[in-house]
Amino acid sequence: MAITSDQKNEIDLFHKQVEIENPSDIIQFGANYFNRRLELQRGFIKKQENFALSKGISLFPNDMAQDPMSTTHRSSSAVNFKSPFVDQDPHSIHSGPHSNNSSSEPFKSNFNVTTESKKRINSPMDPSQSNDDPSAGSNFKRSSPHPSNLSPIPVHFNAERRTSVSGETLQPGNFDDWTPEHYKEKSEEQLKRLEKSIGKNFLFNKLDHDNKRLVINCLEEKHVPKETVIIKQGDQGDYFYIVEDGNVEFIVNDAKVSSSGSGSSFGELALMYNSPRAATVIATSDCILWALDRLTFRKILLGSSFKKRVLYDDLLKSIPVLKSLTTYERAKLADALDTKYYEPDQVIIKEGDVGENFYLIEYGECQVTREDKGLLTTLHKGDYFGEVALLNDLPRQATVTASKKTKVATLGKSGFQRLLGPAVEVLKLNDPTRSSRE
Amino acid sequence: MMETHAQYVDYLPTKEKQETSQELEDTAQQQQILYQKAMNQEQPSVLQQRSTVSKGKYTLNDFQIMRTLGTGSFGRVHLVRSVHNGRYYAIKVLKKQQIVKMKQIEHTNDERRMLKLVEHPFLIRMWGTFQDSNNLFMVMDYIEGGELFSLLRKSQRFPNPVAKFYAAEVVLALEYLHFNNIIYRDLKPENILLDRNGHIKITDFGFAKEVTTVTWTLCGTPDYIAPEVIATKPYNKSVDWWSLGILIYEMLAGYTPFYDTTPMKTYEKILHGRVTYPSFFNSDVVDLLSKLITADLTRRIGNLQNGTQEIKSHPWFSEVVWEKLLSKDIETPYEPPIVSGVGDTSLFDQYPEERLNYGIHGEDPYEALFTDF
Ligand SMILES: Nc1ncnc2c1ncn2[C@@H]1O[C@H](COP(=O)(O)OP(=O)(O)OP(=O)(O)O)[C@@H](O)[C@H]1O
Repeated sequence: MAITSDQKNEIDLFHKQVEIENPSDIIQFGANYFNRRLELQRGFIKKQENFALSKGISLFPNDMAQDPMSTTHRSSSAVNFKSPFVDQDPHSIHSGPHSNNSSSEPFKSNFNVTTESKKRINSPMDPSQSNDDPSAGSNFKRSSPHPSNLSPIPVHFNAERRTSVSGETLQPGNFDDWTPEHYKEKSEEQLKRLEKSIGKNFLFNKLDHDNKRLVINCLEEKHVPKETVIIKQGDQGDYFYIVEDGNVEFIVNDAKVSSSGSGSSFGELALMYNSPRAATVIATSDCILWALDRLTFRKILLGSSFKKRVLYDDLLKSIPVLKSLTTYERAKLADALDTKYYEPDQVIIKEGDVGENFYLIEYGECQVTREDKGLLTTLHKGDYFGEVALLNDLPRQATVTASKKTKVATLGKSGFQRLLGPAVEVLKLNDPTRSSRE
Repeated sequence: MMETHAQYVDYLPTKEKQETSQELEDTAQQQQILYQKAMNQEQPSVLQQRSTVSKGKYTLNDFQIMRTLGTGSFGRVHLVRSVHNGRYYAIKVLKKQQIVKMKQIEHTNDERRMLKLVEHPFLIRMWGTFQDSNNLFMVMDYIEGGELFSLLRKSQRFPNPVAKFYAAEVVLALEYLHFNNIIYRDLKPENILLDRNGHIKITDFGFAKEVTTVTWTLCGTPDYIAPEVIATKPYNKSVDWWSLGILIYEMLAGYTPFYDTTPMKTYEKILHGRVTYPSFFNSDVVDLLSKLITADLTRRIGNLQNGTQEIKSHPWFSEVVWEKLLSKDIETPYEPPIVSGVGDTSLFDQYPEERLNYGIHGEDPYEALFTDF
């Protein structure tokens, strides 16, 4: 198949550049060259499009399949679909070619996914065309039978095949006699500083106080001299790093992309699963680093997640009104529990209000009071309250106020009913607390 | 005649027995009926009763290895031809060393076990497995129509009814898996193949696992991973419904809702959970998606009291006659342009071929790890 003139132009351009620069590593050179080229081209299109839009012209009434710069590198002719539910569809309003009943259309012969498109739009993308020519897009109709074709696919979307990722399979049940290898208590000042370093990262900000400190105490100190390659692009990663002191530089495909110093961190993805490093990091001065390996991190995370899970399960099991739930139903409830924090003196539920949520105390302390009787009792870790609200619309019988910083797991009645539906009725029937209240 | 899975597999592609495709389809229908019955009667899983005798029943000598159909993290999938009946199959080859290095021993053994167990019109069928000292081999049906992924990228987006068709078939497949307490965990267009008539076959059971309560491993494909998995919470079937939402979104929009330039940024967006629906999405589908792509497990449809039924009766699926779909009695939107039965691979991308080291029987340091194969 002969190549098109556009393709030829592109190749000629590249050819010239190779002659001028005479690169030793032609593949690397080519990769860099075309990346730059792509960026330029994309920026140009974007500008064109914005300009045209400001003039009320839509440049891409046909979808990006027509885009010769499309990242997908695939042939760009449209697929003709039959409409699968056409005879069942009571409100068959899908206009346009897609809804054609295939019986009138010899579909198979009609369909050309694998053949090259006959023609593509040239002018709007034509780099030789003047930027400020408002007529650039005027030969395109503004409306299309498929409104979906009006909006282009975002250019940064990775249209290539995606590979799966997976962490190690760990059995969280048996970490009890596991102690982290590099556990070493840090000073209060270090703790504070490190906590700040990792604070914004989503991997750490969900950790509770104790686990955060545990993670930080597991950081392993590493001294690396200037010029050391700390991680290398493409290598499998097992460690996450925080820079305690010194400077590092980030390099992608042999080009420096950025640098950073004390307090910064890199390599987080390695804490989730084994995957190739996206950049090379080099020490540009002597550095002191903190390193954390994935297994340690995941074991801490999983261990705490698992303990919490066991706590929830035990608690739910111990609640009389939930007695008749199956293991699976209980698991579903436990999965759906939401975490909330209360400061001392904050009211969690108020006597007389209509109840909606029920609460399990994960840690902290709460006081149960009643207007007429004063302090009734104090609740601690592992206690629960408000469970009656899950089944009934009775007003709250007492007020519960946090007396220390308190963490609760909570679930609302509506969520409870959405999850369990009919089981709720069974629970009501079997509610051992029922007769005592009626 | 009620076939057990073991008998079922006793047919093709061995020397002694040959079977017409009509018989095969009959058996498939029997299986469907069984499953439908089970669905109605809430019987315990039928899977337990199946045996797993297809290990080592084939060897490399039974097949002529042809081109690569796809590659994955641990090996590749080849088109092969049985030297006995001349039919085409796909063999997935996994490098033991790579599996061990990536610490995926358990997932691999699960993959084999799950594939051996499942039997559904929209799931890939495995015939058997064998191994040499370096590799594991899984013999599957060859699905000629290529990946849904390729079709999607070629068309950029699917029209609403087309996306609905594929989504509906996926729903039935997931319903079946979940009914049997199997979670799939890697739904994406790359893992959905199209057969010669345009029906789906879900392949790659690399992360499928039998789970009765909860599981913990972080796995999937970044764009498709549910927030509870990223947050290291215990999770179950709900994660597949989340991924179904992403799949429908991608089919309609041409891109995924949380894509970003790095996986970490994608994960952050997933945890943040804000989804923007393009204006051309129809309002029914936006309603369905907002109930699938939600971090709130008390709102995620499929995970609620009525399970899959609630998805199947959602307005977006109102035209779908589910029983007809299950028996493939609905016209497919797209028939792959292939010459069937001759090993036509025109719909698969080309992959660089490697020098093969298959069929070596020597020392095997990993022998004890893959005894099921
Ligand atoms: N039975 C089959 N018939 C035809 N092609 C197949 C078949 N099974 C797999 N393929 C092709 O091979 C590709 C890779 O297979 P598969 O996804 O099972 O490998 P994997 O190593 O698990 O990949 P991943 O890393 O994506 O999990 C598929 O996406 C598909 O294109």
